Amino acid sequence: MNKMQKCFSKEHNISRREWFQHLGVVGAAGMFSPAFAEAIKKKDKQVMFIWLDGGISQLESWDPKPNTTFGGPFRAIPTNVNGIHISELLPKTSMHMDKMAIVRSLSTKDNSHSAGVDRIQRGDPKNRGVTYPYIGSAISKLMGPCEEGMPPYVWIKPMNGGFISKDAGFLGPKYGAIAFGDGKPPDNLPRAQTVSKELDDIRKEFRAKLDLQYRKGRMPENSEAATAVFDMADKLQQRLDLFDPANVSAKDAERYGTWDLGRHLYLGRRMLEAGVRFVKVTSYGWDTHGDNFNGHLSLVSKFDKSFAALMDDLHDRKMLDNVLVIVLSEFGRTPRINGHHGRDHWPEAWSCAMAGCGLKKGIVSGKTNALGTEVEGKSHDIGSMFHTWFSALGLDSASLEYDNQGQPLPVAHEDEKAVTEVLA
Amino acid sequence: MRFIYFYSSVCMIIFFSASLNAKEALHELIDRHVEQKAKGLAVAAVADDLEFLRRASLDFLGRIPTLQEQKDFLADKSADKRGAWIDKALASKSGAKRLADFFHIHFMERLGDNPQWREYLENSFFENKPWNVMASEILKGKRSEEQKSGAGFFISKRLENYGQNPVDYSGLARDVGRLFLGKDLRCAECHDHLFVEEYKQQDFKGLFAFFENTYLKDAKTMLVAEKLTSKKLEYASVFKKEKKETGPRVPGLMEVSIPDFPKGQEYLVPPDPKKKFQGVPKFSPLEELSKTLPDSANTSFSRNMVNRVWFFVMGRGLVHPLDLHHAGNPASHPELLDMLAKVFEAHKYDVRWLISELAKSKTYQRSSRMDQKLPAKEFFVYGLEKRLSAEQLLASILVATGRWNKDKPGEEPSFPEALLQKYMKAFANAAREPEDEIAFSLQAALFLLNDSTVLKLLEPDEGSLVAQLEKIQDERKAIELAWLSTLIRKPSEYEVRFALEVLKKAKDSKYKVLVWGLLASSEFNLNH
Repeated sequence: MNKMQKCFSKEHNISRREWFQHLGVVGAAGMFSPAFAEAIKKKDKQVMFIWLDGGISQLESWDPKPNTTFGGPFRAIPTNVNGIHISELLPKTSMHMDKMAIVRSLSTKDNSHSAGVDRIQRGDPKNRGVTYPYIGSAISKLMGPCEEGMPPYVWIKPMNGGFISKDAGFLGPKYGAIAFGDGKPPDNLPRAQTVSKELDDIRKEFRAKLDLQYRKGRMPENSEAATAVFDMADKLQQRLDLFDPANVSAKDAERYGTWDLGRHLYLGRRMLEAGVRFVKVTSYGWDTHGDNFNGHLSLVSKFDKSFAALMDDLHDRKMLDNVLVIVLSEFGRTPRINGHHGRDHWPEAWSCAMAGCGLKKGIVSGKTNALGTEVEGKSHDIGSMFHTWFSALGLDSASLEYDNQGQPLPVAHEDEKAVTEVLA
Repeated sequence: MRFIYFYSSVCMIIFFSASLNAKEALHELIDRHVEQKAKGLAVAAVADDLEFLRRASLDFLGRIPTLQEQKDFLADKSADKRGAWIDKALASKSGAKRLADFFHIHFMERLGDNPQWREYLENSFFENKPWNVMASEILKGKRSEEQKSGAGFFISKRLENYGQNPVDYSGLARDVGRLFLGKDLRCAECHDHLFVEEYKQQDFKGLFAFFENTYLKDAKTMLVAEKLTSKKLEYASVFKKEKKETGPRVPGLMEVSIPDFPKGQEYLVPPDPKKKFQGVPKFSPLEELSKTLPDSANTSFSRNMVNRVWFFVMGRGLVHPLDLHHAGNPASHPELLDMLAKVFEAHKYDVRWLISELAKSKTYQRSSRMDQKLPAKEFFVYGLEKRLSAEQLLASILVATGRWNKDKPGEEPSFPEALLQKYMKAFANAAREPEDEIAFSLQAALFLLNDSTVLKLLEPDEGSLVAQLEKIQDERKAIELAWLSTLIRKPSEYEVRFALEVLKKAKDSKYKVLVWGLLASSEFNLNH
């Protein structure tokens, strides 16, 4: 583990306790038990969730079908794992296959963006009349902030940022995402210009002292929660360096690429190092209904460079032991090529690429038929992937439940099971 | 049937008038119930005048008290000054506005706002309209231009599409079940509730049947209309596929029978396809709902409101969570809830009276602080912490920093809508998420730390708190004024000492730093 990731200051325990307090679990082994909290804390696992919005084509990435009816113009290339081939648009990534796990048997339900983006990221659980949290909010609830006390769920994306509470669903706004629009910090994060650093420290210390006074003779939970968010604000504020483009070396800029996804994955890596539990990086523009092949030539090539740089860094820093990397979209793309040389939405048979924490290395699980139109053998809905990710992170998703004001809710679809083939 | 109910409520009035004799007012009865359950437990002392005044001002006026109000209250030596203060506040325009704010937040759950709806609420609370009358007006929906009031907003807003989603009829049925009956039937939409024995799918569907033919005509005017309801709603459980049916029915009550009009006579105003007019049917499920739900035959109706009012005043429901009234989740004080529901009904659903009695109890007026270990919240033996809404917080910050326009005595702080929107963004929940729990967010912390609108209030311009503090020679006196203006109490000697250190360290900006710290403290940001 990187030195930066270690921080043992006492006050973070408060926020952790706050995070754990509303969590329920089926069976006798309650998550309230300190032993359980301790178990998770020791691992300090993290997630890098890369969302390719609009739908990356599985055929031009993880599941190529060269020389078939729908295969398109690109070839498949060997990877550094014997027998596994991926698209030639991913040459750099192919050299990281020995660290990766690909599931080629996704078969999900939604073929519209508006429903799919939501349902896939919420794990499409059984409808119980509640809005489930996005995976980032779910992890933020189930695992809490890391030791460093940074916010547990950040979202790096092009365009606008802000506090995105809708991701949290029934968990409530504090489990929402902090979005760094175009990689910039949210409103009010940088210290106001009218307040010097010195005064800022004095006022925060004074505020915390007032809260200590307030707590005397009262239940501590609410003022502790307030202090925890002020601490978190402080932690994030101390890391404004993360947002400063001047701090990106020319070499890193070159390695990751200067396009949005490159800059944002680089920032994402730094957020992981700073101790953010769950980092989501979104790249838009993957909905290639027209001119799919030129589109993917450009998009996947950029992705390849940025993603491979990320994998290099995570590997070099020995972070893959505790960071789960996920590459996903709301669906795949049709094998059939439409009249505009495009591919449309195809939830029936597509892929998810992963790497790191809790997963086998250099493995492909599941397969599609020769034309890539359907899954051959067992297929997996998104619920399976949620179970897989939770398992990889050491969470027992078969028995874990949220307690939504007395309504017990499984954390993932109870009829689905993890893809055990890829679990270490 | 109706006659019997009427008769029984008359009996009830007589019965309770007898039990509520001159010796024991309702607030005393409440204390007796609470103390009985808390036997053997340590109990907090009754709050001193300033603690009471801060709590009651926040609860019933929506803001902290001004320095002048504090002085006046302390100077008042009459024996029942608290009771008198409560009644005066509740009967005032400001009191009605605060109730309207609370009611709006808790019944609209930040779905949206409408000036006519606000006006309706304020007027209704100012006139002290009985709750059954209000509920009836709200549930009726605005179905003709002649209905002038904004009561229809509750229904019309919920019949709007939001984003690309279709109209959430299930959500409307759920909200009516939750907010008017205290029963969250969402799990019973597709099958009988798996854990709550008495929440049946037929209950959900019965409620749903009141709304299935309702549609929004015009969001702006809140106008809704109904299509013809001529047959029962068919449904099946997702587990057992057998077909069932129900007409409109309030859970626990009889089904409303759907009249069988001869063909051609179903309409009050017949449809006119040429004008794309769908007609006005004679049978209106909304009308039926507005009559049957807020009725003494429906005990859930009064139990729910009593519990919500208890939550409003005491900070936690007797039944908690508020939306889960059922046998498996009994009230912390079952007999008290029964009793309150009955007297509320017997008192003709008089909301102001109920709030006033609750607030006059010792239970309400206990300190939030205890020397001994604090017992669990549901014993109600100390003042529970309550969340401040964005509205309460903004008004309180303005009062504390001396930004309240005092030119118009008797009027409440007013502020630009844009400023309130900023506070709502930082402190309110997202739409559809009830604000019934205390929740601090990172966004709120950053807002208090750095938002220019907050920092601007700390500038020493004429009349502001910081300007006043700067004029005081004796720092100790300034510290006391700062504490009284924000936390509505004097500082302890220990607090004075660490405040003096802060002043020393912060030099020229000392009072800005002092006031900021007080405003950002949990003590300021909670009602307690």
